[in-house]
Amino acid sequence: MSELPPTTSVRRWLVTTNHKDIGILYLITALFFLLFGGVLALLIRVQLWDPANQVLSGLAYNEAVTAHGLIMVFWFLSPFAFGFANYFVPLQIGADDLAFPRLNALSYWMYLFSGILLAVSFFQGGTLSAGWTMYAPLNVPMYTPSIGSTGAVLALAMFVIGVTASTVNFLTSIHHSRAEGMGIMDMPMFTWSMLATVWMMLFAFAAVLAVGLILASDRVLGSVYFSATEGGSLLWGHLFWFFGHPEVYIVFFPALGVMLELFQTFSGRRLVGRKWVIIAICLISVQSFLVWMHHMFLTTINLEIKTLMMATTIGISLPFDLIVFSLIYTLMKGRIQFTTPFLFAFGALLLFILGGITGVFLGAIVLDYEFRGTYWVVAHFHYVMFGGATALFGGAYYWFPKMTGKMYDEFLGKVHFAVFFIGFNAVYASMFLGWETPRRVFEYNPEFQLFHQIGTIGAFLLGFSFFIMFYNFLKSFVSGPEAGDNPWDYSRTAEWAVSSPPPLENWPNRPSYASGKLEFVKDYIPDGGPAVKADENGNAATDGGDSHSDHIREYPYWDKHPSHASIWPIALSFATLVMFLGLSGFNDSISIGVADSLATTPVTISNPVYPALAALGLLGLVYTGVKWGLEDFYAPPSEFAERWPFNGVEKVKLGMWFFLASDVIVFGAFISAAVFIRYNAGWREWSPLTESLPGLINTFVLLTSSFTVILALVAAHRNSRKGLLASLGTTIALGLTFLAIKMWEWHHEIYDVGVTIAENSHGDPVQASIYYVTTGLHGVHVVGGLLIAGFLFYRAWHGHYMDDERPIEYFGLYWHFVDIVWVFLFPLFYLF
Amino acid sequence: MIDPITLQQGTDWRAQAEVFDEIFFVFLTLGTVVGIIVVSYTLWNVYKYRDDGSEPSDDFDAPVVGELPTGQGGPKAKKLFLSFGLSAIVVISLVVYAYGLLLYVEDGPDTGEEGDIEITVEGYQFGWEYFYPNGHSEMNELVVPADQRIDLKITSRDVWHNFGSSELRIKSDAIPGETSETWFTVSSEEVEERGGEATYLVECFELCGSGHSAMKGQITVLPQDEWEEWYAGTGDDSADANSSSVEGDLANPRVTGSDVGGVSA
Repeated sequence: MSELPPTTSVRRWLVTTNHKDIGILYLITALFFLLFGGVLALLIRVQLWDPANQVLSGLAYNEAVTAHGLIMVFWFLSPFAFGFANYFVPLQIGADDLAFPRLNALSYWMYLFSGILLAVSFFQGGTLSAGWTMYAPLNVPMYTPSIGSTGAVLALAMFVIGVTASTVNFLTSIHHSRAEGMGIMDMPMFTWSMLATVWMMLFAFAAVLAVGLILASDRVLGSVYFSATEGGSLLWGHLFWFFGHPEVYIVFFPALGVMLELFQTFSGRRLVGRKWVIIAICLISVQSFLVWMHHMFLTTINLEIKTLMMATTIGISLPFDLIVFSLIYTLMKGRIQFTTPFLFAFGALLLFILGGITGVFLGAIVLDYEFRGTYWVVAHFHYVMFGGATALFGGAYYWFPKMTGKMYDEFLGKVHFAVFFIGFNAVYASMFLGWETPRRVFEYNPEFQLFHQIGTIGAFLLGFSFFIMFYNFLKSFVSGPEAGDNPWDYSRTAEWAVSSPPPLENWPNRPSYASGKLEFVKDYIPDGGPAVKADENGNAATDGGDSHSDHIREYPYWDKHPSHASIWPIALSFATLVMFLGLSGFNDSISIGVADSLATTPVTISNPVYPALAALGLLGLVYTGVKWGLEDFYAPPSEFAERWPFNGVEKVKLGMWFFLASDVIVFGAFISAAVFIRYNAGWREWSPLTESLPGLINTFVLLTSSFTVILALVAAHRNSRKGLLASLGTTIALGLTFLAIKMWEWHHEIYDVGVTIAENSHGDPVQASIYYVTTGLHGVHVVGGLLIAGFLFYRAWHGHYMDDERPIEYFGLYWHFVDIVWVFLFPLFYLF
Repeated sequence: MIDPITLQQGTDWRAQAEVFDEIFFVFLTLGTVVGIIVVSYTLWNVYKYRDDGSEPSDDFDAPVVGELPTGQGGPKAKKLFLSFGLSAIVVISLVVYAYGLLLYVEDGPDTGEEGDIEITVEGYQFGWEYFYPNGHSEMNELVVPADQRIDLKITSRDVWHNFGSSELRIKSDAIPGETSETWFTVSSEEVEERGGEATYLVECFELCGSGHSAMKGQITVLPQDEWEEWYAGTGDDSADANSSSVEGDLANPRVTGSDVGGVSA
């Protein structure tokens, strides 16, 4: 732990783990990516000015289209929303910080560095050119051979790793750290929409992580999933859209949350049908996973499934209807103030209504058949996704005074809105008019030239409008008038109850809603004892409430200051960047020859830079991971908090459960991929590639190791250091046995039988790919588990975990999960 | 709702373009009306309830910082559910209506004994190849007769493409390892109107590589007799390769001259 430097120091921004600092980092970085993606958009628009003339080559145009989509969807929309979420969700729920501050910093640095990896990919022979939807098999090296294409895929994988950490963090924070008296239905609407967003992200991003890892394996290791004609293309479609549709709501919900807040604040009215709006949000979150095949109406899926997907698609539009009407009726009988934030939020509603109506067109399958692959789709999703983001700019103006303490310039803000709104409709409404143009082409029917030229002018106007915002914010930050703590007449949420900007630890005393409104209570902290909850009058009460004093044994609350700085999140992310950069060119730098055994296999390294970077990054990852584990970093537990529906679950354990839930989806996607491809190839055509005996032995080995982990926990609970070391040691030994048998099996398969990741002398090559990649992913989980077990063993050797066995328990959860996964893999690959 | 059965009597088949145009018109009209009503109602209310600096009325219950959020009930909630119900009825009836026509588009018109022509379309980087029943294959130009239902089986030999013709309003994914289907028909009146030979542009609607923009082809529709003449001629160039199968295919009732003639009769 180190002290947090002042905000004027560069070091502060590298080591900070404070949610407000990280929120600002997210916002600034996201705006940078808005410019990056915006420049690419303008390149596209310049190309479209003339139906035949080319500014970019065909390949360069495709790269611009792809990178524009990826950057705007992944590196701009969501992170921009998460900037606000980082800053304001803890404030709105009355927490000091997010549940895991270091993890939060890690998410940010993973985000930034993954964006850098994407930017670098432009210089590695050109970035990916397969569209942001990356349809297979255009996304495999045979059709997109550049190193940069692999770099872009790895950048996405790295981004998703950071997102997963962030998701777990927000879920744990919102479910674990709400101020006393704030029930789940009492949360402000922005927080509610973020909660729905992160629940969707937990499952949707696990699917895209899985599909990204499979694609990375196809590109780096040479597996053949997506080039397989046994359903490889459709597999991509299903997995991508299983993520892709919820993703639409993932980027829209935070903006919806801002709209719900701003409509109330600037009309002075409370939300109409609040309970039903929350129910609608929850319904949409669940339904979002049941509509993905409406992106695939023209593939070979049958009429029954199309009908079902049409019904769910129309079904999901209904809760949105309710939300839109609720927003409109909320304004009525209010005292509407046309401030810049309100204009943006209101503009977002109008744009969303247009996007919603044109979306109903797409829900009718016959119309979708014709709209598919045309500018109708492009226009529709820009109205929905970017139309939603319009509200986020409203959020930027709304919260600017809170974050900086300065007021923005209202006149410039309104000018920004006017230029933005005109530009927006010029560029996207013209797409509806010229909708018959196929997507992603640059030579189009001259009949539509006028529409595309209007679009190009609109795009430049739209781009220019942001410079008004940048100027406004910069000028106001430097010399704007003091905003005061609460510049808005009808604000309600807790961020307006503290100073602008809020102090490092947010609150003067512990915030509580126990009396029905926000109060700051002073808890009584006796010498040498745990905190005692104050009652409504501020006196010390003795009932203790939700206090879990046994949870704070290692870090006594009363003599330990919360930590706000750590260098390891940035260090660990940087190591990941180096490793992924190395992996991007790995396949092109190393060629492995054919031989009888591993020892005699000739390996030719044509370019040592990439393999060296990969190895260096991996070493750095292990080193920084260990340093992270050893660092004394204290994030105080929220002593008295509302935790429904996870009352009584400790913070780290809750986080672990969320992580495992997402990992279930990752493995679920890998197993589904295996089943889907095999079904397409003909289920009975395949028989196991391997002998079942080694798999059976390994099953027993792993199940036994699950048992020894339980013994370790019991030993730690009984304060038996020897018992702990013995059972942890046995677990490690069993894990190593598993890996040794696995290695023997792979060696046997590769060198004796002749089955490699890309070749299968006994059947379909994709069967071999599936076997190696799926059991390989499990193997990586075992290796990861063993590294953690080794770390625990080292710490136990030095006497840790005697009064606090929780780390052993959490490791046990993970280890049991890895064993359970094997129970599914064993029959799939060894028996049937 | 239009009964699909009435759509397909005799040769008076509705092409996909007609079905599309009808649904699109209905949706566009209703969408525009609903959009204008909702947006103008909203704008009018926002103007009406603007903060004009006057004293708030007595029943204006201003929210305060730190209150636990509550919703607004009363007459507004009733209105909310009324509007929601109305919008649900509009959306659901639109889709039920469109679904009836989908069933027609999925099956295509019933050709009865008149037969149809089945052609395999294979996409590649960057063009289309058409395989006729007699084994003849044609690059980039699909030549078909008028007044006949043309069934397309669409696939790809490399990456994911999408075969589509905007004018004919047909479109289908071309996916390696998969075969999707669509159909179309062009009337002889249409062909005559266009001067005895109707041509339609074919484009690729899925990003497929650097030549995606240029991946264009053409569908040429000829009058029955002209097409028959053309088709009989195609037997020759593939005759060397596999003459017996050509004869066998020509004997196939689905494409023999007499059956084709039967359609126009």
